[in-house]
Amino acid sequence: METIVLGIGITALAGALATVAGAAEDTESDIGSQGDPNSQVQLAPQMGYIHRIFNKAVSGEPPAYGLWCALGAGVAFAFLQILHNPALAIILGSIVAVFVQGVYCVTAYLGRTASLAKFEQPVYIDVVKSLTPVTMAHAFVAIFCTVTMCYLMAEFLHHPFALPLLGLVWGIALGAAGSATGNPFYGKERQYQNQNFGAGVPISASGNIVRYAEAGQRSSLDNGWFTTKFAGPASGICFGLIVFLELWRTVLFEHELGQWGAVIIGFVLIVIFAIIDLWVEKWSRTTYGPYEKAEEASS
Amino acid sequence: MSALGGQARGGDGINWKGTAVGIFILLVAILITYALEQSLIPPGLFGSLQGVALVVPLIGIIVGGALIGFGVHFVPVGGAPAAMGQAPGIATGVAMLAAGAGLAGLFGGAWAWETTHDFWITIIGGGIGGGLMMAITCLMVNLTYVFAMGVPSASGKVAKDPITGFTFPEFKSQGTEGHGLPFISYFGGVVGGFLAALGGTLVYLELLLVYQPGLEKLLGIDAGSVAPLAVSLAGIFAIGFFLVNAVLSAYNITGTIEGPHDPKFKRVPRAIIGCAVASAVCGLVAILTVVAL
Amino acid sequence: MTVKMEASAGGIPHKTLLIGGLVTAVVCIYLTYLNQILGVGYFAFFGGIAAVAALWWGSDTIKHLCSYGLGTGVPSAGMIAFGTGAIAMIVATKFGIATPIVAVIIAAIIGAIIGYIANEIINMNIPVMIISLTELAIVGALTMLGLASMACGSFLFENMITNGAIVTAVGLSGAENAGILVANIDATGTLIGGCVFAVIFMLGAIALQHPFNACLGPNESQDRTLMLTMECGFLSMIPVAVISYAYLDLVAASVSLVVSLIGFVYTLREYFRLSRRDAYAWLDAKPIREVGGEQ
Repeated sequence: METIVLGIGITALAGALATVAGAAEDTESDIGSQGDPNSQVQLAPQMGYIHRIFNKAVSGEPPAYGLWCALGAGVAFAFLQILHNPALAIILGSIVAVFVQGVYCVTAYLGRTASLAKFEQPVYIDVVKSLTPVTMAHAFVAIFCTVTMCYLMAEFLHHPFALPLLGLVWGIALGAAGSATGNPFYGKERQYQNQNFGAGVPISASGNIVRYAEAGQRSSLDNGWFTTKFAGPASGICFGLIVFLELWRTVLFEHELGQWGAVIIGFVLIVIFAIIDLWVEKWSRTTYGPYEKAEEASS
Repeated sequence: MSALGGQARGGDGINWKGTAVGIFILLVAILITYALEQSLIPPGLFGSLQGVALVVPLIGIIVGGALIGFGVHFVPVGGAPAAMGQAPGIATGVAMLAAGAGLAGLFGGAWAWETTHDFWITIIGGGIGGGLMMAITCLMVNLTYVFAMGVPSASGKVAKDPITGFTFPEFKSQGTEGHGLPFISYFGGVVGGFLAALGGTLVYLELLLVYQPGLEKLLGIDAGSVAPLAVSLAGIFAIGFFLVNAVLSAYNITGTIEGPHDPKFKRVPRAIIGCAVASAVCGLVAILTVVAL
Repeated sequence: MTVKMEASAGGIPHKTLLIGGLVTAVVCIYLTYLNQILGVGYFAFFGGIAAVAALWWGSDTIKHLCSYGLGTGVPSAGMIAFGTGAIAMIVATKFGIATPIVAVIIAAIIGAIIGYIANEIINMNIPVMIISLTELAIVGALTMLGLASMACGSFLFENMITNGAIVTAVGLSGAENAGILVANIDATGTLIGGCVFAVIFMLGAIALQHPFNACLGPNESQDRTLMLTMECGFLSMIPVAVISYAYLDLVAASVSLVVSLIGFVYTLREYFRLSRRDAYAWLDAKPIREVGGEQ
């Protein structure tokens, strides 16, 4: 009984940490225009739209976060061998990982922007100076939460994987969940805020991203401000649910129903989520209704 | 959106010569494993399993690799255009999204093996873990599309959803190839996550079953000491296999796919054969780790 | 990705990079063997230098491969390189003193088969596919071998599974020799047992794909990309040096850390210089310059 109670506590804590990590991850990637929306930031100068958006294309978010989290976990693991102090080890690991992340961000911005010289896109070095610390701060939150979560899994839930491997596994999952949920919101709603709401961006408008703010010029900090309103928390809930339900179904049900309990509960959860999804799709079709051709012509 | 797709590709057909060579390589890999198992490995290493212990895991690895390749094709991935609401699917890379689901499943599967030591619970449990990850992710994607962007789901490749019967052309906004995540793509995502994670967990488990007794014998240390080594080696190799197979499948898809209803899905036999051959070769080399020289 | 990938022409020919990178990497990995011969740990940093050399060659290979357009972006090439390289490298570590050579051979075989699969079964029909994936698999194996030997001071399997203790090379040379190691080692914290290996895997994979991915564009220039590659290599050495504090003595790990920091600072400064050279303009706190897009 006691182990079950401890297990549930760890599960809840891991879920909460994952939620924070997901929110920070998505905000970080949106401030840096990482992931798929990056293509538009890259495309804009080619279409004649010079901008001051932070363009840090390290790679897709899943491999990038796979590295940051594995690195944080690996360095923490190495320090655990020497220091035997988890809190200190995890923080030091996260700091090393964030240092690497920051350098990758700077080199990515410089490289991409310098290679766009043909389209007269200058390197705005103040963008690097002002926004790299912001992305590093968000990345620190994401990495620290993920590594702590992995430590809890390894130490208290006795998962067979070693800490660095858990960091790699959950880092890739974090990047996958965050980029899947957050990218459309940043890509469509923020980069193309000048386009119609409730419709996709016409392919002909590609590259015409919003470059000016309400007053002055849009900086990527504005993008972080915008995406924390929805995409960040949504990514957080997504990753938090993944971690929480994955642990919850195993901790509580793995010995039930001839040890098939966790599998059956997992299947039931999938069916429930599928039904919710079907309802959402139906709701959107009946509420929004089909597009009318006449209105479309004006866009 | 096809600035990258300009090179000559072989269409949807199967290259029979290449496939034949591939299957030949696969059979050679199995034969080498069989020879290793019979002659080079000292008798008694695998106890009563002597005679099948390497070949069966290799076949498991091949099946696992093929399942990963098969599963990746179900995952609806729209890439960069999806992030702008220009194409349906999830806005990220196909290989890495599948890897995210597969590794989340691998996490569950490895854990299930630790507590139950039951083959079927482990691999099905791993598969369910991947399916659950995709179910949650796809739901959140759809919530974003519907509630934050006000975009209903519309497929660009088919006019009607084969499962729900919803029609799409009138829900497609002008100048796009469709957007959102129709239910058929949702279904594809869950099935793809399930199959990919099932394959990944199968690869992990078969490697673990080779490494646990193999390393014990090779290093002459007891089972408790060898467990972390075996788990870590099997884990990192499973991730390596996963990435190789997922990237090969992504090459087959060439970027984006909407799910099982997409015409590109017809290319799936190529990926299954390719992933099976790749897994056979990589599996043979991975098994060599425990073969004494 | 909607960005057109264009590879710059000219510069150092690929063959020179190939031979230079391969030879330097293998030689530097062998130099870490001085640790075993002299019974010390401070030659470990040569492993990191080997990784830098291998990456230097590999990023040029990635450029050649990805200029054909794979449809999946640059990072996937790094992933497949390290997925195959990791398997080849671990198996090769069992071959004692022959490890680096065996790693190259096994990786070449796996890479060639994967390339054949991609080209002939999956019908990619890219002329450089087979040779590129072969090269990338070798790069992956050598990079991982280099960084692993930097972390634990040796490229031998038996040292990667014992906690940093530099044992003299005995080799796992046959079934009759089974049981050469201490009866019950605690492998939980070791390079392989603790899966610190996973960190090296990702460090290498990102460092391999990042330079071309970050520099692609119409004004990509080879010297800048290669400088970024070296910067990524030295940057990857820093965390490995930090990790090596757990496996090597204080002096050895500090030597690695200092070498990687010096290399990192130098290459980063050079990269800034080259970026400044190639950039259209280098502006600090200046507004958007309009060139023709609508206001």
